[in-house]
Amino acid sequence: MRALLRWVRADLRAHRGQAALMVLVTAVIAVSLILANALLRDAANPWQRIFLQSRGAHVWIHVRSGADTAPLTRLDGVTGVAGPYSTASADLVRGAEKVSLELRAAGPQLPSVARPLVRSGRWLDPARSDGIVLESSLARAMRADVGGTVTVRARDGATRTMRVLGVADSADQGSYPDWTPGLGWVLPTALDRVEPDPAHIQQAIGLRLRDPGSADFTAQQAVTTLGSGQVTQVTTWQQVRSAMGQDNRLLGLLLGVFGLVALVAAALATAGAAGGRVLAQVRDIAMLKTVGFTPAQVVRLFLYEHTALALAGMALGAGAASLFGPLLPGALGEAMGVWQAEPARAGALAATGAGVVLSIALATALPAWRAGRIPAAPTVRADRPASGISRLARLALLLKLPPALALGSRAAFHRPLRAGLTVARLAIPIMMITVALGSWATLDGFQDHPRQLGLAASLTARPSGIDDAAARRLLTEQPAVAAAYPGAEIPALVPGETTTITLRALGTADHPYPFALAAGHLIRDEDEAVAGQGALNLMHAKVGEWVRVTAGGTPHILHIVGRDIEPDHNGEMLSVDLGALAGPGGTPKAQYYALVLRPGANPTAVRTDLLAASHGRLDVRPVANPAAQLGLVRVVVVGLVGVLTLIGLAELVTATASGLRDHVRDLGVLRAMGLTPRQVTAIIVTSTALLTTAAVLAGTGLGVLLSNRLINMEGQASGVGAGIARMPAPETLLMAGAVAVAVAACVSVVPATRATRARITAALSANRT
Amino acid sequence: MSRSGPDTARVAATPDADHVLPPAEAMLWAQDLVKTHRGAETATHAVRHVDLRVDRGEFVAIMGPSGAGKSTLLHLLGGLDRPDSGRIWLDGQRVDGLSEARWSLLRRRTVGIVFQFFNLVTNMTAADNVELPALLAGMSPRQARARREELFAELDLEDRARSTPAALSGGEQQRVALARALVNEPGLLLADEPTGNLDSRNTRDVLRLLARYHASGQTILLVTHDARVASGADRVISLFDGEIADDTALHAPADGPTTVADVLRLKG
Amino acid sequence: MRLPLLALLAKEPAHGYELKQALEQTFGAAYPQPNIGQIYVTLGRLEKNGLIKGQDIDQSNRPNKRVYEITDAGREELAAWFAEPTEGPRVRDEFFMKLVLAPGAGGSDRLALINTQRRHYLNVMRGLSRLAAQDRDNRVAQLLIEGAMLHLQADLDWLERCQEELD
Repeated sequence: MRALLRWVRADLRAHRGQAALMVLVTAVIAVSLILANALLRDAANPWQRIFLQSRGAHVWIHVRSGADTAPLTRLDGVTGVAGPYSTASADLVRGAEKVSLELRAAGPQLPSVARPLVRSGRWLDPARSDGIVLESSLARAMRADVGGTVTVRARDGATRTMRVLGVADSADQGSYPDWTPGLGWVLPTALDRVEPDPAHIQQAIGLRLRDPGSADFTAQQAVTTLGSGQVTQVTTWQQVRSAMGQDNRLLGLLLGVFGLVALVAAALATAGAAGGRVLAQVRDIAMLKTVGFTPAQVVRLFLYEHTALALAGMALGAGAASLFGPLLPGALGEAMGVWQAEPARAGALAATGAGVVLSIALATALPAWRAGRIPAAPTVRADRPASGISRLARLALLLKLPPALALGSRAAFHRPLRAGLTVARLAIPIMMITVALGSWATLDGFQDHPRQLGLAASLTARPSGIDDAAARRLLTEQPAVAAAYPGAEIPALVPGETTTITLRALGTADHPYPFALAAGHLIRDEDEAVAGQGALNLMHAKVGEWVRVTAGGTPHILHIVGRDIEPDHNGEMLSVDLGALAGPGGTPKAQYYALVLRPGANPTAVRTDLLAASHGRLDVRPVANPAAQLGLVRVVVVGLVGVLTLIGLAELVTATASGLRDHVRDLGVLRAMGLTPRQVTAIIVTSTALLTTAAVLAGTGLGVLLSNRLINMEGQASGVGAGIARMPAPETLLMAGAVAVAVAACVSVVPATRATRARITAALSANRT
Repeated sequence: MSRSGPDTARVAATPDADHVLPPAEAMLWAQDLVKTHRGAETATHAVRHVDLRVDRGEFVAIMGPSGAGKSTLLHLLGGLDRPDSGRIWLDGQRVDGLSEARWSLLRRRTVGIVFQFFNLVTNMTAADNVELPALLAGMSPRQARARREELFAELDLEDRARSTPAALSGGEQQRVALARALVNEPGLLLADEPTGNLDSRNTRDVLRLLARYHASGQTILLVTHDARVASGADRVISLFDGEIADDTALHAPADGPTTVADVLRLKG
Repeated sequence: MRLPLLALLAKEPAHGYELKQALEQTFGAAYPQPNIGQIYVTLGRLEKNGLIKGQDIDQSNRPNKRVYEITDAGREELAAWFAEPTEGPRVRDEFFMKLVLAPGAGGSDRLALINTQRRHYLNVMRGLSRLAAQDRDNRVAQLLIEGAMLHLQADLDWLERCQEELD
């Protein structure tokens, strides 16, 4: 063991630069995997972040009025209490819509436990007794903005207009409409006005626990303490969390795939570097065996060394991520902050670390095994049979190219197997960079060509307080609006399934909506429908099939004639013509209009114009573009391109080093023949550049294919549907390739110059035995 | 081919059964060793039915023209290469069937090897090169260091301990290699053309050192094409075309010429 | 021994015993110890040929000693010696005769001849090695020994060639 360590130490000292690069690459990969992990958790579960930031309560208990909640605060394991707050049930009314609401009386001071996180506007103000703060998912669903008003209808039917002071995130309950009633905070005086009868006032109390795992037990204890007759509702944090299972798979999967591929690329880079090292040290290894190293010990030498490097890199990466992660700007920093406080963090870190180190160790295994098989006898290396000039080199000669180019191409490809391996290893990071660029281009596609991606309409207008004809007139008068398609959405039950999908009626028979179709054709008849991938998945149906759905008690038998790209609602949308919903009373009234703008029109300006023209009686809203939410993906893409570039650099260093080792003698001969040092340098640089060019071609080609595949697969999985993938622009690819080749050439200049400076005689005698 | 000479009888005593035990005084005993190198088209018979015995404390040189199979024979005896057939006993132990790993373990304590091209581990300092096998054989770092310092003092290398092989002259490298081979006080020292890459002065130094260790009881088997080197041995075996052509004990110096003139007069 | 003595006298005049000592010091053990009588005989001959001339010097309570110095004729002779290349040792014709003729004459086979010869050379080589070890400080002697060894090495290499070609 001591002897092994002695050798590893000496070897690392001799290859400081390479070792440092490997540590750095591993560290960066560790950082990116940790970030990916944190982002994934964060993206998949925003509730976690809210819970943490708001110091959420682990148990919420609603009790009847008059019950004494004081004993609850003395329960074992309770470290903090939220409330008790007086609560009352009411309805939030908006036009014809009505949603149930829990009003919670809170003071002007934000509580320390289960503190609502004000996202916009401000918290309750004693000066504004009619003020209300809405929970953000409710506010979104009700289209309520800060500064606007909402109508609250009390149990007795009296309505009261309240001003929305703010919108706040809360981890106290799930998001509306999955979790009802919705939540709103008002001042105690306002609560008393809405619900004057104390008998209908409940109390809500939140308990923050030392051990989150004991929530069930504590809840049970609380109910026993209070008496089950007093308790109306108990909620634990686990229930809330599972209700918040939010879908952000696109980001998650992208991150996962990239992180893993980066790891694979790094593992390959390690394998390449270790393999090169073994080849360079054949004599030393033979010597180690001669002095008594067993084959297993030789294998262990390499495994230990590279595992140690991986461990060092992992530790460095984990340390850097922990120290500096939370300091990162934006969502990344926030996600890291949340991640660090998470109890599962240690496990995730250990798993990531083990994965990274194991991958590197596995990658080292093959070269290490080869090292173990090197015979102990210092064999005289048989001179290779003089290799013929490669076809490429012959072509170069034929074209009367300068000697550097001809000899460089010979040097690059005269051993096809090794050249192939080098190209393959270089091509992998390039391929992944292409995939990253493809993701970027797809995001650009969402932003620049929303029509092709199912986002033809950029605004929706909802008449409120004016009739349909007037609304229609207002819209057609607006010059920037190219078309306004009447639409209505109702939930429809899929037979045999307990789930509902959204049945969307949009456009009319003589004025069909331009769905972005990935398959099939547009709606031509009233019994025809197009479906998003998510809807198809839910209904287990394919394009061309007939389905029967029940909407509003009426069964509809629809022929699915096409699949459209649906970025919204996880693609769980079945779209029909407005006429399809026609009942005995004729075509239903449009709930809203989808507005397709003329090219070049600015949605924000059009919205302002429409709002002004309608005096606020048209509720105009922009259509959410998923690309806007995926801004994080861009950050990740940039980071990954960085990691992959680093890995590519490591590969280049290996490739240049092994190329030089192969040619040291040849280069000596060339110089003895009269090539100038500059020409010799040019040969080496040309050879590296040619290998990189081959890798760029292969990597880019594969990357484009893979990128389309991956993104479409992802689209399919997320319900948006295949057909969203966009290729990176050719000029982008060209530029990336050119940069790669240029970098490769630059990287090889240094060792090439060094090799050139070596004495000719040294180079000539370098290969003896 | 006849084997003449006073010592032929000793090596030719071939046992016909595998369970024969080697004589107690034999450090190394090889029977009927055969090794053929097979190339793509040709097969080179490097070692052909060689019987060999080296007793404890003996200094034996194997001479022969290049390509005679000297180095191959040495590699077979050091376990660096495997014979096609034949039996080898080392220090009383049958070793020809050992696995590579077992050979490695055996070499740590029983066999030290010196090569023509020194073959030091390039990344390690001279001191580390010597201490490595000592640590491998289980010495504590302190013991290894002490032993290494002792050898370096004997070999006049004290001020070279921290140098890497590349910074050493050929003679120094070979002395470091010698120290490395001897650090575990092996029963047998194998030397493969140890002076093949040295100038006369360094050759003389290495020979002097070999003679000194031999005088203190070290068993040495040396392969060389250099008669000056071979003449330092007690016994010279001539290998020709993979076979032993002659095996002779060298006379005491009294029988030899007393002055150069005696030699030069022989020239006529 | 004629010309070496002349060369020593070219440096400075000396008497017989001084010359013997100079020879011993220069060549060391590698060279046969010169016999004083032989030196006197050689000196007498050189004087008779006019290459050196001697002069008796009186010594109190000792026999007179004769100091020699080189003459111009002597210098010319020496210059001619230095100017002309020296014939190298010739191949051992006698052994070669044996080797070629033995099989036909019913003598021992060639391998035995070669082995015998090799053993002889190796023993000689061993003797030279010991000699070299004895007189390590005398560079001239060491060079002389090395020369002899290289000759022997050449002879041994040649034996190998014989074995290869005639076997």
